Amino acid sequence: MLDQIKQQISRVKALGASYVDTRWYPVEETNSLLMWNGNLKESSATFESGLGVRVLYHGAWGFSASSDTSDLAALYDRALDNARIASERLSLPVRLAEKDAIQAKFVSPNKINPFEVPLSEKVAFLSEMDKKLDQPGVTQRASSLTFIRKQIIFVDSEGSEIEKVITEVFAGLEVDGVDSEGGMYERKFSPFRRGDSRGWETIDLQHFSENAERIVRELNDTLNADPCPVDDRSVILLPGIMYLQTHETIGHALELDRILGYELAFAGGSFVTLDDFGKLRYGSEKLTARADATLPNTPGSFGFDDDGIPAQDNLLIDRGLLVGAISGRQMVEEANARARRQIFHGSSGANRATSFYRVPIERMTNINIDPGNDGTLEEIIRNTEKGIVLDGDRSWSIGSNREQFHFGTEAGWLVEDGRVTRAVKNATYKGATLPFWNSLTAVGDASTWEVYYVPNCGKGQPNQIMQLGHGVPVCRFDNVRIGE
Amino acid sequence: MKDRILNTLDQLRRYALSKGYSVSIYFQEEDSSLMRFANSAISLNTNEHLIRLNITACDGRKRASYGMITDLSRVEDMQRGVETAAEMVKHSMPLTYESTIPVFREAFIDESGYDPSLAEMSNAEKLAFFNRVVADMESDEIKLSGVFSNGANTTAMVSTATPYPLYIKTSDAQVSIVLAHQTLKWEIQSEQSAQKKDELSADAMRQELSCLMSHYMHDTPQQLPLGVYDVVFGRAAIAEMLQFMSYIGIHGGLMKRGYSCLSKEDIGKKIFSEQFTLIDDPTRLETFPFRRDLSGMTRQPFTLVENGIFKGFIWMQDDADEFGEQPTGHTIPHLSLSMAGGSQAVGSLEDLFNQPRDHDLLYIPFLHYMNIVNPSKGILTSSSRFGAVLLKKDGQTIIPYNVRLTQSLLDIFGDKVDWLSAETSAYNLSTSYDARNPTAFIVPRFARVNGLEISHSNSSY
Repeated sequence: MLDQIKQQISRVKALGASYVDTRWYPVEETNSLLMWNGNLKESSATFESGLGVRVLYHGAWGFSASSDTSDLAALYDRALDNARIASERLSLPVRLAEKDAIQAKFVSPNKINPFEVPLSEKVAFLSEMDKKLDQPGVTQRASSLTFIRKQIIFVDSEGSEIEKVITEVFAGLEVDGVDSEGGMYERKFSPFRRGDSRGWETIDLQHFSENAERIVRELNDTLNADPCPVDDRSVILLPGIMYLQTHETIGHALELDRILGYELAFAGGSFVTLDDFGKLRYGSEKLTARADATLPNTPGSFGFDDDGIPAQDNLLIDRGLLVGAISGRQMVEEANARARRQIFHGSSGANRATSFYRVPIERMTNINIDPGNDGTLEEIIRNTEKGIVLDGDRSWSIGSNREQFHFGTEAGWLVEDGRVTRAVKNATYKGATLPFWNSLTAVGDASTWEVYYVPNCGKGQPNQIMQLGHGVPVCRFDNVRIGE
Repeated sequence: MKDRILNTLDQLRRYALSKGYSVSIYFQEEDSSLMRFANSAISLNTNEHLIRLNITACDGRKRASYGMITDLSRVEDMQRGVETAAEMVKHSMPLTYESTIPVFREAFIDESGYDPSLAEMSNAEKLAFFNRVVADMESDEIKLSGVFSNGANTTAMVSTATPYPLYIKTSDAQVSIVLAHQTLKWEIQSEQSAQKKDELSADAMRQELSCLMSHYMHDTPQQLPLGVYDVVFGRAAIAEMLQFMSYIGIHGGLMKRGYSCLSKEDIGKKIFSEQFTLIDDPTRLETFPFRRDLSGMTRQPFTLVENGIFKGFIWMQDDADEFGEQPTGHTIPHLSLSMAGGSQAVGSLEDLFNQPRDHDLLYIPFLHYMNIVNPSKGILTSSSRFGAVLLKKDGQTIIPYNVRLTQSLLDIFGDKVDWLSAETSAYNLSTSYDARNPTAFIVPRFARVNGLEISHSNSSY
C-alpha cells in the first residue's frame, strides 16, 4: 500500500500539484463501555481504516477521503479536482512554512494494551465502580471506559514518512442527585495524569474507589447546600475547572486559524489580532502559558503533527505578555504575510485531524499554565479574604470571539477571612477574558499542578473531535461575578 | 445501489441466522461534499464517501455492538463484524430489564426525500451560487466566509427478527454565508436549508445580507446597558432553543433521569404560551424525516405542546423498555420538530425593521455556544451573534455589540411570548461530528419575547 501511495503522490505532483500528502490509517479502533445505574448500557467496539489525501494546487487546497482503497487513482484525482475549483476563488495563495523531511516513528506510552484486556475484566471494573457509587443521595450513577488506538502513516511529497501509533485511555465516574426543590446536580471524576504511561495500568481500582467516595460525599454536600450568592468575590479555581478556563479563553483564542478568520462561519473568531503579538497584556505577570506537545504521556503529545512537524514546547503568554499562537504550516506563513512582519518562525506543530476522513486544522496540544510561587491550595485560601473555591465543569458558554464567558461548576465552597466556611450549590461565574486574566493574583505551586485530559474538544467544519491535555495549577482571580 | 445495499444486508442477516445469533444491523452511507469559504477564498473543498455498519447483538438481556467503516465489497469483513458483536455479547452483563430488538413488520423503502440534483451539485454550481449571493458585497474590509454542505445520506436496517428491511435515502444541503468586517469584527449571516435543489435561493440570501449590511455599514455600534429587553429571536435562535428543549424538556428518558424542566405531572397542563404549539412531524420532507423508526414503529405527527398545553414526552425504545413506558416511535437519529407559526405578518427582515413599534426591540438572529446552566429549571445561557440590531421605538436602528442571555426555556416559550410570525421555514441544525445526519426544524421566521434580561454586554464584538 505504501508504494502505491507514493506512486499516486508522484503522479499528482506531475499533474501540477505543488504539494501532496496522505494519511493512511491501517487501523483505528475504539472500545467504549458505559454502565448507568447498574446497566451496561453500552458495550461497543469500532474499527475503521482508510485514506485521506490533501493536494495543494495553484495555491488552493483540495481534500478527498475514502475507506475504499480499491481505486486510489480516483481518490487522488478527486482531491486534485477539488483543489482546481478552489483555485478559482483565491485571495492569498497558500504557502507552507519550511520543514525538514522526516522519517520517524512515534508510539504513545502504554504498558498494558487496553485492547488486549478481556472484556469481562473491564465489565468487572465498571460493576465495582457502580457499587461504590450506589449510595444515598445518588439518583443517577455512571461509570465509563473509552479506549482508542490509531495507527497513522503520513507520507508527503517533500520526503517525509512518519508512523504514529497512539493509544488513549479515558475513564470517568459521575453521580447525579436531586435536591429538595427538584434541582438536579452532578459531580464527576476523571483521573489526572498519573505515572509515565496511559495504558490499562492507569485504571487503578484503589484510586477510582477513593474518588468515587469523594464525589458522592461532595454531591451530597451540594444537594444540602444553600444556593450560591450573587456576589463579586475572588474565585479560586481548582484544576478540574481551571483546565476549562484555560481551554476556552487561552487555547481556542490563540488558535491561529481562528485569529485569521478561518472559523468565522462556525466556531467563531478571536479578539486577538496579529498586531497584538508581542504587545498585548493578556494577563497579570503571574500568567505564563505554553503549548507543550513534549509533555510526556498526555493526549496532547503525539510526536508529530499531521503536517509532519515534530512536537514542540512553545510559549504563548510570557509573564502576561502575548507572544505565541497555536499554529500549522499554512497559517504561520499567512500570518506573517498579512502582518508584513515575521511574527512566527515556523509552524508550532499543532495541525491535526481527528480521522483519515477529516482535514488537519489547528488544534490544541497541551495548553498549560506554569506553576507559580503562591504556595499550596491551603496557603492560597488562607490568603483570601472573601472568595469561593470552585471545581468541576457543569456548563460552559463562550462569546464567538472568546471575549467573554459564563461557566457553571459542580462544586463551590465559600471562603471568608482565610478559611472555607460552607458549600454552595449552582456555583457559576462569568467574566470578560482580558480583565479576568489580568485579575490573576495567585498561582499555586507545583503541588497544585495537574494534567487534565480532554477527550472531546470540538472544532471545524466538517466537525472534528480531538483529544488533548491541560497542565494547570490552582489559580485565584479577584473581583469576579458569581452566582448568575 | 439500493439493491446492492439491501442484498448485502440480507446476506449478513442470513449469515447471523445461520449461526444462531440475534442481531440488528444498521447501515449508513454518506456521500458528503463541503465547500468552505474564509477570507473571501475557498479555504477547503472536500468530499467523503463513507459506509458505516453497526451490528448490535443480543443474548437474552445482554447486548453489545460493533461498528465499522467499510465498503460493500468487503462482505467477509462485515461477517467478521457480526462474529465480533456475537462474541462481545457473551462477555457482556445482563440488563436489569428486557430489551426489545427491532422488528420490521414490512419492508419500508423511502426515497421520497432524495433529489439527485441537490446531492450531486457540482463544484462549479456551488461556487456560482456563492458568487451570486455576495456579488459586489466584498471589499478589502468585508470578507466572505461560509459553507456549502451537500450530499446524500442512506440509512438502512435489518434484524434477524424478520426478513424485512428499512431503507431511507435523503438529499440535503446546508448553506451558510457570513460577511465579516476585518477590523471592526462585526459579522452578518444568512443561512438556508434544502432537501431538494429548487429550495435553494441565492436571491433570498442576498436580500437578507443586503438588509443587514445596510445597517451594519452605517449605524453606530454600541454597548447595550444591562437590563430587561423585549427581544425578537430569529429562526436560528428559535431552532437552537428547540434543540435544547428536545434534550431537557420533552425527552422521557432524560426526564426520568432528572435532566428535564418538565415532569409527568405537567402533562395536560398549560406550561407554555398559548401561542406555542410544537409537533414532531415526520410528514415534512424539509426535516429529512424518518417515517419509520429504528425499532420498526410507524411514525405519525406527534403533538408535544398544543396551545401551551404539554401533551407528553417522547420515548425511545430503550428508555421505554427501562422505565416501563410505551415507545412513541422516537428511536431515530433526529426529530422532525415543527413549531406552529402565529398571526404576525412579519416574514422578512424588512418587514421586521419597518414594523411600527411601541417599544425598543432587540433583534437576535442567532445564539452562539448555547449550554445548559440548570436542566431542571430549563436555564440556558448563550451569546448573540451574526447580525443583532436594536430597533428603537422612534424608528432608529442601533448595532449592539454581542450580549449574553441566561434564561429558562419555560420563560422564553412561556407567557413572555408576545407574537410569532405567521411564516415558517426549515432551519438546518445539521452537525457532522460523526456520521452525516441531516437535521432541520420548522420554525417561525421570528418570535417576539418580552422582558428578557441581558446579563452581560460586550464592549466590542
